[in-house]
Formats: sequence, C-alpha cells, structure tokens
Amino acid sequence: MKRILLLMFLCCCTAAITFATNGSALPDTLTIEPSTAPVAIDLRAYTGTLEDATGNLSIDAVTQLPFYTNNQLFHAAPRNNSKPNNCWIKLNIKNPGNTNASWLLFTGWHDFMYWYEQAPGKVPNLLMQTGLMLDRGGVERWNNYGLITDIPPHDTRTFYLHIINKSFNENPFEPTLYNSAAFVKFQSAQVEGYRRESVVILVLLGMLLVILGISLINYIQLPDRSYLYFAIYVLGLILFFALRLESKPYQLSFFHRWPMLKYYWDIPGLLFCFYLMYLLFGNAFLNLKERYPFMERIFTWVAAVVGGLIIICIYLIAMEQYHLPTIIYGYVYFGTLVPLLAIFIALARRSQHHPLVKFFLFGSVCLYLACLGSFLIHVRPLGLVGALGELSAPTILLIGGILLQAFFVLAGLSYRNKLVHLERTRTQEMLIKQLNKNKELQRKLNEQLEELVKEQTTEILRKKQELEEQRKIQLETEYVKKLTEIELKAIRAQINPHFIFNCLNSIQLFVMQRDFEFAQKYLSDFSYLIRKTLDFSRRNFISLADEITYLNTYLGLEKMRFENRMEYEVVVDPEIATAELEIPAMLLQPYVENAVKHGMTNPKQALGKLSIRFTQIEPDMLECIVEDNGIGITRARALRSLPKHHQSSGMEISQNRADLLNKMYNTEIQIEIIDKALEAECNAGTVIRILIPQL
Amino acid sequence: MVKAVIIDDERNSRDIIALMLEKYCPFVEIAAMATDCNDGIARIREHQPQLVFLDLEMPDGTGFDILTALQEEMNFEAIFVTAFEKKFLQIIRLSEVELILKPVDKESLLQAVTTVVGRVEEKKVTQRYQVLMENFNSLQSNQWRVIISDTDFRERVVLLGDIEYFESADDKAVFHLRDGGILPAAGTFRYYLELFSGLRFYQLNNSQIVRLSAVVRVSGDGTRVILQSGSMLELSERRKKDLLTRLHHEH
Repeated sequence: MKRILLLMFLCCCTAAITFATNGSALPDTLTIEPSTAPVAIDLRAYTGTLEDATGNLSIDAVTQLPFYTNNQLFHAAPRNNSKPNNCWIKLNIKNPGNTNASWLLFTGWHDFMYWYEQAPGKVPNLLMQTGLMLDRGGVERWNNYGLITDIPPHDTRTFYLHIINKSFNENPFEPTLYNSAAFVKFQSAQVEGYRRESVVILVLLGMLLVILGISLINYIQLPDRSYLYFAIYVLGLILFFALRLESKPYQLSFFHRWPMLKYYWDIPGLLFCFYLMYLLFGNAFLNLKERYPFMERIFTWVAAVVGGLIIICIYLIAMEQYHLPTIIYGYVYFGTLVPLLAIFIALARRSQHHPLVKFFLFGSVCLYLACLGSFLIHVRPLGLVGALGELSAPTILLIGGILLQAFFVLAGLSYRNKLVHLERTRTQEMLIKQLNKNKELQRKLNEQLEELVKEQTTEILRKKQELEEQRKIQLETEYVKKLTEIELKAIRAQINPHFIFNCLNSIQLFVMQRDFEFAQKYLSDFSYLIRKTLDFSRRNFISLADEITYLNTYLGLEKMRFENRMEYEVVVDPEIATAELEIPAMLLQPYVENAVKHGMTNPKQALGKLSIRFTQIEPDMLECIVEDNGIGITRARALRSLPKHHQSSGMEISQNRADLLNKMYNTEIQIEIIDKALEAECNAGTVIRILIPQL
Repeated sequence: MVKAVIIDDERNSRDIIALMLEKYCPFVEIAAMATDCNDGIARIREHQPQLVFLDLEMPDGTGFDILTALQEEMNFEAIFVTAFEKKFLQIIRLSEVELILKPVDKESLLQAVTTVVGRVEEKKVTQRYQVLMENFNSLQSNQWRVIISDTDFRERVVLLGDIEYFESADDKAVFHLRDGGILPAAGTFRYYLELFSGLRFYQLNNSQIVRLSAVVRVSGDGTRVILQSGSMLELSERRKKDLLTRLHHEH
C-alpha cells in the first residue's frame, strides 16, 4: 500500500514538474516563403512536443492530445538522456505562396522515425519511416533522414514525427527545415564531417586486418595459443570498429543489413576484447601458469567473470535494456582501474626476469592511457556516465593506443618466437648433450653391471664351492666321527671271534673228554670274559682294576689254550689306585692279544713270556708296558703268509687306535711300539709302551 | 676206510676233531696229526691221505699255503676247519670246498665228511682247489670265480664278472651270463642268494638278482632296469631308491 501511495506521489510530482517546465503555450504555425536561396529555419520555436511515456500512443491518439513547446528536448551535441526517448513532435506549416513549397525536415540521426502528414480535417497518413535501427539500405539510406515536407500553395499542413531512441545516448536533436539548396549544403557538410572519422576507422581496420593476418599465419606456422588469442582479440576489435562505421552518416559500411549488431557488439565487444581476450592472451603470452601462478589464477577468474558479464549484457540488449550494459561496463571500468594498475606494477616488477612482460606492459599501458584519454575527451560532451558508452569511440588517441598496443604485442610475440626458438635450440642442444651423456652413462652402467654380474657370479660360485666344501667337511667330520665310533666299537667288540670259538671248541673237547671240572672252570672264565667284553663295549672308560682282572682272565684262558706253553705276569705299581684310575675300555686287549699271538710263534723260545706292567711315571701319566719274547713285530709282519689284502685289519687298527681314541675322547694317549730285535740281535720280542695321561 | 690227516696248531682242536671222527665217522681213519704247515705237508706226503682237515691259520702259515705247496700232487680232498675267518669263508664256499666251523658240531661234520667222501669215491677231476687258490690270490671280487654245479652236476667255473644276473626257476637258480649264455644250476636260488651276499649283487625283485656293475641305468619311470646286454628286468617299487643309492656307490 505504501508503495502505491509513494508511486502516486511520485507521479503527481512528475506531472507537476512537467507542467511547470512545459507549460508554455502551443507553438505558432510556421509560415514559409518559397525561396531559391538556401534557407534553413530553426524550428524549435514552432515545434510542439509530446513525450510518450508509455510508448503505446497511436497517431490517432496523438492528434487528439495537446502539444507543448519544450526546448529542453533538443540539443545540438550528443547527450545522455538517462532514459529512452520516445517523443512526438508536431509542426503546423502554412504555404502562403502560389507555388508548391517543397522543403526537407532534418531532426538528427535517430533510431526510429515515423513521419506523418495531416491535411486539415483529414486523417494523418504515414509519409515515411526511417531510422538507424529501421533502415537497412546502403549508403543511400542516409538521404531518408531529410523528411519531405511538401505543402501545396495556399494551404496548411500539420506534420507529426514520432522519434524513438532506445539507447540513453542520443545523437544531436534539432529540428531544422531546409529548402533543397540548403539541404544539399547540409548534406555535403555532413559527408565531409564524417568522412574524417570514417577514414580513420577504415585505416585502423586495414591495419588490424593486417595484424590479424600476421597473427593467423603465425598461429598456423607455430601453434602457439597466444597467437590465437591475439588473433581473436584483433578480430573482435575489427568487428567492433567496423560496426562503428554503421553510425557514420553518408559513409560506406559493412553491416547495414543487421542494424542491431552494433548494439550487440558494443559493450559486450568492449568486454570481450579489452578484458576477456586480453586476459586470456596475457595468460598464454606470459606463460603465467608457470612463471606467476597466482597471477594466472587471477586472470583466469576475472576472465570467467567477464565472460559471464558478456552473456548478461547480450541478454539485456536482446531485452532492449540498452542502458544496463553501459552501467555494468561503468562498474567494470571503474572497478578495474586500480586493480589493473596494481597488476601492471606487479608485472613490471617481474619484468627483469621475464622480458616478455615489458612488451605486454608497454602495450597494455598504451591502451590503458589511450582509453583513459579517450574517456576524458568524451566526458565533456556526454557527462561522466554517457562517456562510458563512448569509451572506445574511435578517437585518434584511442586508435593510436590500440595500434601501438598491437604493435607492442606483435613485437612481443616475435620476441617470444625468438625465445621459443632459442629455447628449442638450447633444448635440442641440451637434449643432444643429455643423449650423449645418457649413452655414456648407459655404457658405463652396462660395464658396471657386467662387472657386477661377473663379480656376483664369481662370488656365487665361490660361495657355492665354499658351501659345498663346508658341507663336505661337515659330512666328512660326521662321517669320520661315526666311522671312528663304529670302528672303535668294532675294535672293542673284536675280542677276537677266533678266540671265542677256539674257547668254545676247547670247552666242547673237555665235555667230550668228560673232564667236567675243567670244562666248568673254562666255561665260567669264558663267561666272565664274554660278560665283561659286552659290558666294556658299552662303556668308554673302565677302572684300571677292572682292566687288570679282565686281562688276567683273558691270559688265563689263553694259557689253558696253549697248554701252558706260555707264561704271563701282570705287575701293578702299588702306588696306583687301580680302583679309581680310569682308562679307555679295551685299550690294552688288542695289544695283549697280539703279544700272545706273536709270543707263541717264536721257534727259538719254547716258552712264550708275556708281561704287563703298570707304572705311574708322572703324577698325571700312567705308563703301561706290554712285552713279549716273540719274534718281534717286524719279523712277524714279514712272516705273514697271507696275501696283503687278506690280512686281518686288527693290527693296522691297533696302530691307529691311539689316534682314534684321542679323537674320540680328546685325550692324548701315546703308543710306542718297539721291536727288541732291532735294538740288539740277541733280543727278541716286542715292547708296546702306552702312555695314558690322567685327567 | 678213508685215510685222513688233521692239521691244526691247537691241540684242543685236533683232539676234538679226532674224537668226533672216531665217534661219528668210524669209516675215517686218522693217519696222522700235524701242528703246523711244514709238519702238515710232510705228513700228507708221508701218508697220502684222501682227506685232510685243515686249520686256516697256523704259526708258520695258512691252510692255503699247504694246498699251494701240494698243488702238483693233489690227490686228496680238503675240509677247512676254522673258528672265525669271515673273509675266507666266502672264497672257500665259492669254490665248493667243504668247511667246518668251530666249535664243530656233529651234523656239519657228518655232512662235510659225507660230501667229501662221495667226491673221493667218484674220483672226478675237479678244478675247485685251483679256483680256490686263484680266488685267494686275486684282489678284486669280480675276478673271483665261482663253481656252479649245473643240472647235470657238472662243474662249471664262472667268473663272477661274467654273471649278468640270475633268477629263480622252480626254486633253482638260473644264471644269465654276459655272453648271452644261460646256465641252469643244481643249487637253489636261495643258496646262491646267500652265497653271493656281499659280492655287489642286488636283488631286484623276489626272483631276480643282478650284478650291480652290469646295470646300465634305471628306466625313467623306475620300474625297469636296463643291463649291459640290453636285457630289461623288472624292479620292485620299494627297492628303487635303495638300488639307486647302491648304483651311485658302485660307480
């Protein structure tokens, strides 16, 4: 409700003001005299005006409405109305003469113009319609702006002209009536006046086209993004300036068939060229992504925003809201003045590291200053806001700026090309160098690898061999140990089977001879011996006492076997504690057995004599001597009639016994075999001296 | 009556043999007894016995020495008497010479004496003592010879190295020789199995025994054995690994 009240109040106020300002009386009827001399009549005093606020008035409605004189509507220079202009003007012209008065009315270059003529008491009819937005003709269309005002002799005519300017910026608006001669003069003045601007634009266009061509050719030759962006930018400029020709009266133009284009590519074109493409170009040209990532992000974001704005602007223009893009542009322009400066400074500070920045900067500053200058030039006639729309009106200054900028940029691009080329050459050189280095490296690596492989192989082989040897050694050790054990056991168990069976044989004989007592004795001794043998073969050490008993029994049996052809004695040093002293089991048995065997085979000695003596020669050394009076070990060996390979191994084993025992029990038993026959011819027999260290 | 000489260095041994012969073999007359080799040779020459009981080891030599000495005039049969001489047992047995182990028991004495007396009566020419000597003097067991009585009880002397394998046929042994010859023996498979034990022969299966050095290789699947002659013999599954180990040691 409040709003409605407010709106009504505002309407009243406006109406009051309108009345106050336009409240002058109806204009007089103009009386014109035919004249051959050029006559131009200023019609402001005779023109009645009517502002069509709604824009819905028809010619019929307008004829009924009152017109007022309102000189504020007219202006000799371009002006910003701050609103669309939709107005009617009314002229009453009387021809008192006798001839037909043929005059031409010119009010200015407007977008839409509808020209009606009304004879007194008749309905007005449309004589003509034209306008920048309406007329799509070629250069001849400019003649249509002289509105034909024909009045028969002695007659009065009323003319209505409906003018619509949707853009806020309006060209000069002054109704002037020309006779033919005067209009010709006026026309030629116009042609001359606009030709200068047109030529400038055309020259600019030509140069821009050349630049575009260069850019495109370069882009094709060297697909560098910055060339493409620059080409698009130049293309945008070409389009923009070509469209500018559309509003230059009596000049050739290119796009007159599409009058709307000059609106569509006005503000959006500016945004596109000077912001969007320029930022994109800067990004690519300066390679900001790598050199100045922060700047690159700003550029990209701003470009995106500008892109959005361009779309909005195009949409607004399509909606015939021509002033809004101008406002947007105003904000963009003023909003970016300072940031642009900041960017320039930031870039300038980097220019030492990056020679391309200089080119970009010089170009940009040229354009920037040119734009600013151009804007300032326009501010005077159009006012601050109105000048915005004309920022890029092709003043000499701006064109110079644009060209300078384009040249800087082109130079920059060339320099960039040079840099790229240099870079490429350097890269190639480096590549070649690197390649050579790589080759060298590869060769070295290969050599190293080969060496390594060789080394490794050798190492592996060596390790393998080592392992094998170790394994072998281990196996051997184990084998030897086992063998030793087995051998020892075998030796130990080797209480000669021959002896056993001979004993049994003897027992059998006594039984058969019914000598039972003897058989009994023999059997019990033999049993004792076998039992002890079995017992000892399970033990490693036995006491000396046990050994002595065992030997006594054994020798007793042997003595019986040999029918008392032998004698024996076992002598023990009384100092020796036989029960406590330990010796390896069955150590002496083989030697004793051997002594018996050889002692019995001496033909020179009827009686075999055997003695076993135990002496403590040192506190920790027990000496044991087995002595016989046989033929001696040397002869015994020589005498052996069995072929070598059939010899019993008992003897050989007994030679190694000490080693085996020492190996087994970590002792240091020494065995010495002395052939007495070798010492003196008269002697006979073998002495076996065994030294047993006591632990 | 069969005339006999006993040679032994131990009186007890001589006495027991004499005693047992007197008791169980009354047809044997003991002509003399000797205590060592030289004495023995003299006694034999003196008495020309048909039968000699020989001890293996004596103070001045061995039984073999006596045989060697009398090789030219050998017209007696020998029976070895020994307590325990494992090494010689096989040689003696391979040549089918009789052997009695001490202590002497009645059955083995009787069996030996009967066999030998039979031979004495047959008066066949025999190579067995020669074979015995040769075996005794050769180092390697595969150069030893074996006397095999064939089915006609003829004496056949075969080098151990010539035997490729032998198999059982109705419990009797049949020898397959390297030259492709086949020798059916009078003895049982089991007898030869025991005789050849420890001589690098190997029982492939229940009825076949092969000389290890005759084996060329074992077939890939391990079910067969290929011999030098090209014969293929079956190998029982469970012996495969054992055989491979033995072959490994053999080569």
